[in-house]
Amino acid sequence: MTHPGETELDAYLDGELAAVDARELETHLAQCAECTRFRDGRLALRTAIQTNVPRFAAPDTLRHRVRASLKTAAPGPASRRVGLAGWWRPLALAASLAAVAIGSWNLALQRAAGLALADDVLTSHIRSLMPGHLTDVVSTDQHTVKPWFNGRLDFSPPVHDFAPQGYPLLGGRLDYVDGRSVAVLAYGRRQHLINVFLWPATRAPGATPRARDRQGYHLLHWTTSDYVYWVVSDLGTVELRDFAQLVQQADSAAAVTAPR
Amino acid sequence: MDAAYTLARYLTRNAHDAEDVVQDACLRALKYFDTFRGAEGASARAWLLAIVRNTAYSWRGRRRMDGAATEFDETQHSDAVADEHPDGAVLRSDAKETLHRALERLAPEFREVIVLRELEGMSYKEISDVAGVPVGTVMSRLSRARARLQETLREAEGR
Repeated sequence: MTHPGETELDAYLDGELAAVDARELETHLAQCAECTRFRDGRLALRTAIQTNVPRFAAPDTLRHRVRASLKTAAPGPASRRVGLAGWWRPLALAASLAAVAIGSWNLALQRAAGLALADDVLTSHIRSLMPGHLTDVVSTDQHTVKPWFNGRLDFSPPVHDFAPQGYPLLGGRLDYVDGRSVAVLAYGRRQHLINVFLWPATRAPGATPRARDRQGYHLLHWTTSDYVYWVVSDLGTVELRDFAQLVQQADSAAAVTAPR
Repeated sequence: MDAAYTLARYLTRNAHDAEDVVQDACLRALKYFDTFRGAEGASARAWLLAIVRNTAYSWRGRRRMDGAATEFDETQHSDAVADEHPDGAVLRSDAKETLHRALERLAPEFREVIVLRELEGMSYKEISDVAGVPVGTVMSRLSRARARLQETLREAEGR
C-alpha cells in the first residue's frame, strides 16, 4: 500500500480533502502506524500553536489612528477620479471601512465561521444516520463510553446517561469537525436521534444556547468554560432545548464536584 | 481588524511596525476599494489581509527588517539558532517562547501560511487569495512550515 504524501495528510487534517479521498485516507490511517504517528505529531503541533501562539488584538490607539487617517484621506485621489457625480463615494467607502475597523467586520466573520461550522456538524449528523455510522462504541453505560475515548482524543469528554429523563445514551464515536477530532455522543429519544458534538473550548464561554435550523434539523450551540457544544437532531425544538438543559446541568454539576 | 493586526504583527515581528503597516494598509484599501468590487470570489477578509500582507512586504523591503530581505533561504533561516540570544537557555525552557521563536525564525512565506491557517482558520483558497499564490503552493508551504516547526521544537526539547 502506498503512503499518502505529507501534503495530502495535511490537507486531510485541515479538512480540505474531498470526501472520497478523505475516506480512503482514513482507511489507510487505520492500518498504518507510520502515518498515524505523523498525524499525531501534526495534531500535537496544532494544539501547541493554538495554545501558545496568540492572536493579537489591535490596540485602541491603532483603531483611533486608522479612523482618523481614513477621515482625512476620504476626499483623496479617488474622488478626483470618479468626478463630481460620485463625490460621495469616497465618503461612503471611508464610512464602510471605518465600520469595518470598529468591529462589525469581526462580527460578520464570526457569523460566517459559525455558519460553516453548523454545516460541518449537520453533515456529520446526517452521515451518522446512515447505517453503521452512528457509533464507534455501542454502550448505554457512561462508564464504558467515557474510557473508550481515552487515547483516541487529546481530551476526556464528560459522558452522562439521561435514560431516567427519557434520553438514553446509545454510544459514542469520533468525528472530525472544525479542523480537529471531536467527541460525539449519540442519544435516543423515541425514534429520534440526538448527536452531541463536543471539543475543548478556545474562546470565551457563551452559555445561552443559540439555535439554528437547517434542512429540517435543529441545531443548538453553546460554549462552556471547558467545551464547545453542538447538539443536532430532528427532534422538536422544545424537547431539544430540554435535552440541552440536561447536558448543561450535568456538565456544571460535574464541574463542581470535580474541579480541575 | 484584529486579524489584520495579527498578520502584520507576525510579518513585521514588531508591535510598532505592525501598527504602521495596518494603518498604511487601511489607506491603501480605501484607495483600491474599486478593485475589490471587481474581484469576485475573494472574501472581503482575504482582500484586506492581502493588502496588509503586501504592505508588510514592501515595508520590509524598504526597511530591511529581515536580515535576508529578498532571498528566503530556508536552511539558512533554520540554522539561525536561538543560542545567539543571551537568555536563550531560559527562553527555551518556556514552551510558549520556543514555539513563538520557531515561528519567527520561519521565512515569511511560511510564517504567514501558519498564521492564516492556524490562527485565522482560513481555507486554502482564502490563503491563496491573500498570499497571491496557487492553492497547491499554499499546501506545500503549509506542509513544509509545519515540518520545520516540528523539527525546531524537537531540537529545542532535545537540548
